[in-house]
Amino acid sequence: MVRGPDDLAAEVWKALARVHDPEIPPCSITELGIVEAVRVDAGAIAVDLRPTFAGCPALDVIREDCEAAVAAVASDREVRVRFVSSPPWTSDRITPAGRAALRTYGVTPPSTDEPRICPFCGSRNTVQESQFGPTLCRATHYCAACRNPFEVFKPKLISLTPRPAS
Amino acid sequence: MTQEPPRLDLLLALADDELILGHRHSEWTGWVPHLEEDLAFSSIAQDEMAHARLLYGLALESLGEGWDEDRLALGREPRQYRNAILCERPNRDWGYSLARQFLYDTADDVRTRTLLGSSWKELTEILTLVRMEEAYHLEHARTWFRRLAGGPVAAREHLAAGLEATIGEALAIFEPLPSEMELVTSGDMPMPSSGMLAAWLGGVGEELETVSLDYVLERHTQMGEMVPTASGEMASEAPTLSVPGVERVGGRWVHRGEFAGAGGRRGHHSEDFTALWDDLTGLYRAYPGATW
Repeated sequence: MVRGPDDLAAEVWKALARVHDPEIPPCSITELGIVEAVRVDAGAIAVDLRPTFAGCPALDVIREDCEAAVAAVASDREVRVRFVSSPPWTSDRITPAGRAALRTYGVTPPSTDEPRICPFCGSRNTVQESQFGPTLCRATHYCAACRNPFEVFKPKLISLTPRPAS
Repeated sequence: MTQEPPRLDLLLALADDELILGHRHSEWTGWVPHLEEDLAFSSIAQDEMAHARLLYGLALESLGEGWDEDRLALGREPRQYRNAILCERPNRDWGYSLARQFLYDTADDVRTRTLLGSSWKELTEILTLVRMEEAYHLEHARTWFRRLAGGPVAAREHLAAGLEATIGEALAIFEPLPSEMELVTSGDMPMPSSGMLAAWLGGVGEELETVSLDYVLERHTQMGEMVPTASGEMASEAPTLSVPGVERVGGRWVHRGEFAGAGGRRGHHSEDFTALWDDLTGLYRAYPGATW
């Protein structure tokens, strides 16, 4: 059976869905909306990725893991994986499955609703401790109901950038 | 890099500010007496360096063979760095660092927002991404600005001392670029630096007034000659201003004329830069071509 470019692209997407973000192990990079595009041509497969945060130290690991995953399904072609900065990644690219996986991991998915919901007990009796956390994409919060510290995946949307102070 | 294209002037001013201030912020890692702030300054440093890297990537298009991101960040002579002098000053104490972060990030916000109107598409694309991350830096700076200004007295004094020490040099973030005329004419800069400075100073003056710390924009009245006023009272001569060039006109703070701490955009730095440069670039110079 001859494998057409569309079949191969579908296989590449499947392979990319098995690559996980090393800083958020339960989420695949497709669930996080990191994969922007897959292009298949005669000699090569090109994958464009959008970095969640520009300074994320996991980017090199993600790129190498993608190269290995794609090469495994298309060993006859050159594999080119690169990060593109435009259009920027936004947190609304995380899929419903990705949001569910974040919650299971103990990280509240991005939202602009305040206060944040505790991923452990579901309470809204929570406060933000810091806009920063163990990784660039997470902020630290505290739940007064179950007394657990927890993390929130930072919302990142163009609409959240500062407006001029009229 | 002898004859620099105008676009390189703009990119290096933006990128070098982020790199050098990012380096200073990174020096807090492990030292802030507060775990959350250790994470905050470390994270902000990481973001700033990534932003510098994106801008250096764009700058490579204006440079010839032999340049790469690492060489731009680490392989230049001190006089080739174009950061504002404010960014290279040592951290001193946390109040100083916080005051500097507040003034720098509010200024950078005005600058990047203005430059979104640039006719240079690639620059606006990078700045769109950068501003989404800078939103968190601004929130951090403003949260602490209000918290420290609200007391106790020791916290307020610490913040005020930091602001007094940084505000003069913060104005020079908007020192005109050497090729500003060309950049404005081409549309790469939608307005000259003086327009951005006016917008920033107006806004930051209001923020300082909100917490009654706008006095940092004025010098204490000089001791000395007393002159009679129209009502016959003796008053000191019109108070001079601590920050060169800053005046209050029609209820708003404005800047005219000289800058304190200028020169960064032309590659003139303070003595503090030498030690920073030595530390920042030491490994790169000792092991040419090293990768990590």
